[in-house]
Amino acid sequence: MVQPLPTREERAVPGLHPRRFWSLRPRSDRQSGDAIVSNFLLHWFPAKTYKPSMDWSYSFWLGTVSAALFLLLVLSGGPLLFLYVPSVERAYGSVKDIEFAVTFGSWIRSVHRVAAHLMVVAVFLHLVRVFLTGAYKNGVGQGQRRVWNWTIGVAMLLVTLLLSFTGYLLPWDQLAYWAVTVGTNIASSIPFVGPTVRELLIGGRTIDQPTLIRFYVLHVLLLPGALGALFVYHMWRVRKDGGLARADSVAIVSERLRTVPVRSKTYTLLGVARGTAPTVRTATLEAPDLTVNSVPDLTRRISIVALGTVAIISLAAVYVRSPLEEAANALVTPNPAKAPWYFLWLQEIVTDTTVHLGSFTINGAFLGGVLLPGLLVGLLTAWPWLDRSPMTAAGTWLPRSRRAQNAVFLAIAALVILLTLLGTFCRGPYWHFYWPWQPWPEIPTRL
Amino acid sequence: MTEQVLDRREFIYRVGSGAGVAAIAYQGLASLRSLRPNVSYDAPTTVKLGSITEFPEGLKFLPDQRLFVFREGNTFHAISAVCTHLGCTARAEALAAPEARQVGGRSMRLTHRFQCPCHGSRYSGDGSNVSGPAPRPLAWYRLWVAPDDGQLVVDLAYEVDHDFRLTV
Repeated sequence: MVQPLPTREERAVPGLHPRRFWSLRPRSDRQSGDAIVSNFLLHWFPAKTYKPSMDWSYSFWLGTVSAALFLLLVLSGGPLLFLYVPSVERAYGSVKDIEFAVTFGSWIRSVHRVAAHLMVVAVFLHLVRVFLTGAYKNGVGQGQRRVWNWTIGVAMLLVTLLLSFTGYLLPWDQLAYWAVTVGTNIASSIPFVGPTVRELLIGGRTIDQPTLIRFYVLHVLLLPGALGALFVYHMWRVRKDGGLARADSVAIVSERLRTVPVRSKTYTLLGVARGTAPTVRTATLEAPDLTVNSVPDLTRRISIVALGTVAIISLAAVYVRSPLEEAANALVTPNPAKAPWYFLWLQEIVTDTTVHLGSFTINGAFLGGVLLPGLLVGLLTAWPWLDRSPMTAAGTWLPRSRRAQNAVFLAIAALVILLTLLGTFCRGPYWHFYWPWQPWPEIPTRL
Repeated sequence: MTEQVLDRREFIYRVGSGAGVAAIAYQGLASLRSLRPNVSYDAPTTVKLGSITEFPEGLKFLPDQRLFVFREGNTFHAISAVCTHLGCTARAEALAAPEARQVGGRSMRLTHRFQCPCHGSRYSGDGSNVSGPAPRPLAWYRLWVAPDDGQLVVDLAYEVDHDFRLTV
């Protein structure tokens, strides 16, 4: 077996796991033990948690909220799995039954829908928080791979969006049918391979039963499975990266605290009494008054956040009814036909990006629907490697040294939000511009 | 420093695990091929649209075919309602006053214009894209009269130029 010998650092620091995964082929008893000790199922949480990492106003617990929403989506999806029928003849009817005939059906569906929408929001805000606090930056710890975990996070955002989109089709109503028509036609605008990609997505050349079953399997099996696996890995990496970047930041920035002699260390009694023993200075990370036991302090907060999320969704679902439009009709496009809100910024962009250069035309569907979002995701993924700010910028909100890149990031985020609001509130029939208070003109439903 | 040791045990381990991974990966990829349909049960592209007498002067919209059929006296032409941007169904709007225009070298009375509800593409009465994100004009399809029962027939897989007219 060709494997690099452990470096001096690896050998010197017990408990750190410098690799991305466990040692599956241990070379020593030590590695063999590590394979168990570093197992993420046992070690999501450290024994001690750094107090400032648990500040409400540092992380806003957005990751925990996202995870709680995911759990809630899995739970509320359970009963829906029994009630929903993925067939073009019966899907709409079964959702209608869930909405109007099944006991608590409407509430369960609303929990699922409200949680799904909020999960998109929570995951997005979590990403914004991590960016603005520079939390993807490595700190003082060895073997940290926070940048790698950031890319996992970006992937999880994409999977979240895909989950929402695939769920959108399932009721097989007008909203669903036309959103999928537009979405998959965006895929087919890719040069050369586009039509094949669309055919793969919808299982044929028209949106029909093969499309529904594909989206269904993606929605209930493959995508949640992928998200679950990524989530577990994401958490394990957070732990292996030494917790939140906040811990590193305080360790670097703050003065090392003078502490009382720590009980576990041995000194001569006389030396301590006379003050001639080596000055006992512990790094803040180890300072007992700055850490708490993860159980119960951390687990208690996680429970509060998770239960709070569940409570809010559960209550909101009582009051927020989930819409169900007319059954899907391939013959009539609704006017206006809007994508789900989190894709409206893209709908706005594909409307505006068709480029005519003389007789040569580039379809906005490709430019705005594939190229631009692709570049954005690429930029987002690669950003940590472009980030040249100092280590001290990690784990603090809006540090001076990252002012320029935070401004760029916020500008892009603001543009996306602005376009989303524009698409949501200011677009009427034929995608014309109307102020929210302007009435829409009467348009006959046919022709 | 890395320690390069390739003894027999290691060699067999590599060959064995490599073959295993390759076999599973190949079977996995091969089974993915099943997701690409070999048969597509599409609706036929050649469709009988009904007797000529069922088409009034001006425009008739056929939702099933997503097709606008125009009649001007005894000439016919058909324009697709499928928006060339992202495939939504464009809607026809009658013009307040019809305008005469040369289309494909032949004079034509434009009575309508088209707009797409999804992203607001606009087309003039001959299907030319005027504004909005549509990259191409709406398609024109070939029409003819069925020899057996005299019905109007369209071929949705056969695009024609803008000078196409069916005269009956």
